[in-house]
Amino acid sequence: MFGLYRKMRFSIQKVVVLLIVALGFSATAQAAEKITVGALRFTSHSPSFIAKERGYFADQGIEVEFKFFQAAQPMAMAIASGDVDFGITAITGGLISLAEKGAVKVVGGALQEEPGVDGMLILASKKAFEEGLVSPANLKGRSYGVTTIGSSFHYTAHNIADKEGFARSDIKIRPMQKVGAMIAGIKSGQLDAISMVPHIAKALAASSQVFVIGEVVDYIPDYQVTTVFTSPTVIREKSELVKKFLVAFSRGAHDFNQTLVEKKASAEEQEAMIKLIHKYVYADRPFKKAAPAIRNGAMRINENASLNLKSIEDQLNWFKSENLVSKDITIETLVDTQFVEMSHH
Amino acid sequence: MELHLNNIGHKYNNLDVLKEISFSIRQGEIACIIGPSGCGKSTLLRIMGGLETATCGDVYISGEIPSNTINPLTFVFQDFALLPWRSVEANISLVLEDHPIPTVQRKEIIDSVLARTKLSDFKKALPKQLSGGMKQRVAIARALAVNPAFMLLDEPLSALDSQTRELLMSDLIDLWQRENFTACYVTHNLNEAVRLGHKIIVLSRRPGTIRRIVEIPIPLEERHNHLAELEYSQQVLWNLMRDEALAADRELSNAD
Amino acid sequence: MQTKKSKQLKLFENLAKKSLREPEVQVKRPIRFRGGGFVIKPMPWVPPLVFTALIAFWEVGSRSGFISNLVLPAPSEAAQAFIDLAHSGLLIKHVKASLYRLVVGWTIGSLLGVTFGMLIGLFSIARASLFPLVSAIFPIPKIALLPLFVIWFGIGEGSKIATILFGSFFPVVIASYGGVQNVDRNLIRMGQSFNLSWFSIVRKIILPGALPAILSGFRISASIAIILLVAAEMIGAEYGIGAYVLTAGSLFATDQLIAGVAMLSILGLIVSWLIGKAEKALLRWRS
Repeated sequence: MFGLYRKMRFSIQKVVVLLIVALGFSATAQAAEKITVGALRFTSHSPSFIAKERGYFADQGIEVEFKFFQAAQPMAMAIASGDVDFGITAITGGLISLAEKGAVKVVGGALQEEPGVDGMLILASKKAFEEGLVSPANLKGRSYGVTTIGSSFHYTAHNIADKEGFARSDIKIRPMQKVGAMIAGIKSGQLDAISMVPHIAKALAASSQVFVIGEVVDYIPDYQVTTVFTSPTVIREKSELVKKFLVAFSRGAHDFNQTLVEKKASAEEQEAMIKLIHKYVYADRPFKKAAPAIRNGAMRINENASLNLKSIEDQLNWFKSENLVSKDITIETLVDTQFVEMSHH
Repeated sequence: MELHLNNIGHKYNNLDVLKEISFSIRQGEIACIIGPSGCGKSTLLRIMGGLETATCGDVYISGEIPSNTINPLTFVFQDFALLPWRSVEANISLVLEDHPIPTVQRKEIIDSVLARTKLSDFKKALPKQLSGGMKQRVAIARALAVNPAFMLLDEPLSALDSQTRELLMSDLIDLWQRENFTACYVTHNLNEAVRLGHKIIVLSRRPGTIRRIVEIPIPLEERHNHLAELEYSQQVLWNLMRDEALAADRELSNAD
Repeated sequence: MQTKKSKQLKLFENLAKKSLREPEVQVKRPIRFRGGGFVIKPMPWVPPLVFTALIAFWEVGSRSGFISNLVLPAPSEAAQAFIDLAHSGLLIKHVKASLYRLVVGWTIGSLLGVTFGMLIGLFSIARASLFPLVSAIFPIPKIALLPLFVIWFGIGEGSKIATILFGSFFPVVIASYGGVQNVDRNLIRMGQSFNLSWFSIVRKIILPGALPAILSGFRISASIAIILLVAAEMIGAEYGIGAYVLTAGSLFATDQLIAGVAMLSILGLIVSWLIGKAEKALLRWRS
């Protein structure tokens, strides 16, 4: 009997301690708003990493925790389920469908193709190259690897067909699910062509198993590859948070562009930034090997997270024309234009 | 045709199962082997039929094998061993198919053995549709189809109820009178032994040795008129076996 | 103590008196039935009822907004997606492509499986050499080998058929081997006692005796083949039910996803029904 009383007293003490701890936590939570940001371990996600490491998020009173994904699709679904507050990824069929269902919304731009900066490259396998696939104009009747139907790779392939003047169905689209499988496919000659981010593409071409036959930027000028997105709930309930996030993100993007894209910074500064990014990207590789990959993978991120609405419209129309998304979706369903500057070129 | 056993001994993993067994079965004779459970009587039968080799001693046959015999040494098993997926006639056909017999003749043989075992109406039936007694009849018909010179019956009636057993026993007596086959009949049922055996070989418990060979001189077909003598013989056999059976029973329950 | 005992005694006496009195009264009391309760009865009308009720609940839930469209599309939307697919003419292309892969992969896999299972069951050398190998490879998820299959058999039909073939091969090997093991030894001994040839014993006794196990192996391997269809069509497939489901997933077109999954489920039901028919026809002899 006495023992039981002692136990009870002990547990009451515990509860009190817990209460105090909980109160303390909620107090700090008010001080800095905690959010979760979805990211892929790609160089193109560097602005978020920079904003966190250099305290830009903290300046806005936001405490960021990253949640890493293997692909864009699960990230979009994590936004829909409320597990992640902000994400950065390509416009995919899945993202548009989720936007139609009222689960996600694009609020800003991130990665954009532009002439003069290394962009996505079009590659041919050695076998196909030797057979005469030396230019994207010869892609008619060739197999072309993509991750999934409705991915940015698929979009690229069809833009090539449109511009070169043959039917889209003349390119044989081969879904490979993963970038790794696409690379394996082009290396082994199972695929005739793919498009790929520059640093991987260059590394592949260096092995002379694969040949660069063109640049994506020639076919899709000002291609808005990735965007910043969040959930309509966040926009509705915390529109201030969205603004704060975009300000911090833009500062990160500016640093990134200045240092690694325009290369205006000193070698030491570049090195420091690559070191910062290496914490998140290619962390499993030694710095010496990771650094060139990060350096070569640097592509321009939109200043002020501005968004090329024209490119988004083009993409949306392509999805509709391929029956990959519902015909009723408007650009307003997909994009909330109130947060950043919209460009139309 | 006669069958002889000469000093048969058998071991399973260094355990003596049978020891120093010698006897002969004459043409047209039914020899019954009885003994307590586990005395190796079924093993002995399998040795006689070539399904097992004895550790020592030899089994041989003498005399002429009838030329019309397809399978001289033929078994009838306790569990009937019918193929459940074959009809009655196909089960009998099975044992003829490996031999160069014209189809017409094969059909004749099947019809004939079915008639002899009163199964003609059940030609197309599957084993699952038959009672235990009928199944054993089919097994006997199958044995007859190969015209055996020597039948090895391994407790053929043990899986049947007593009425069916009674019926089949008189059928077997009729059959023997007609076909006059030579047979070795293993059983643990003393009544079957005294009704069907010209001579009864009593085995001891493991390792099985011959306790005694009892001859019953009354002709098979007349035995139903000599119930008192049979009763007496059965009593004699029981007296021989009782202690052995008791000991064997205990031994088995202590076995492990 | 003393009082307790006398109390008990009294109680017994009373009871005894009562039971003594009983025959005089001659009350007829029926014997309570207590033998029931553990028998499973067939209820043929229940399964369709459960399905209908579930789908009706789902439809009503979706229409009333109780089930969010993001969580699950309404059955009518999935049905509409299916009808659209049928109208577009792609349905036949998808089904044809998948059936081709399933039939070729499963047939070759299962026939090889029976052959290997029989070899393992019949020959000591095959058992000693192949059985450990089969046991080691069986648990490997064939999806994990898909990238290798793509290198070995190409991005076309080869790798897809190989995936399904491998998936259906192993359960059939194990089932056939088990079937051979379980053939009644007495039947084999009977065959030997009638001087049947080795080949006759295998063909007429062992193979039919192992058939029930082989058929249940087929049942499992057919299900595995359908499960692997989606994996097989992951890489480089333009048409196929699996490719349709994967595309629906990547487009987050949940109505198409449900329609595709329903197609796989129906395919499974049809295969199961066909094997049930085969069992009925081939195993009539079982009691």
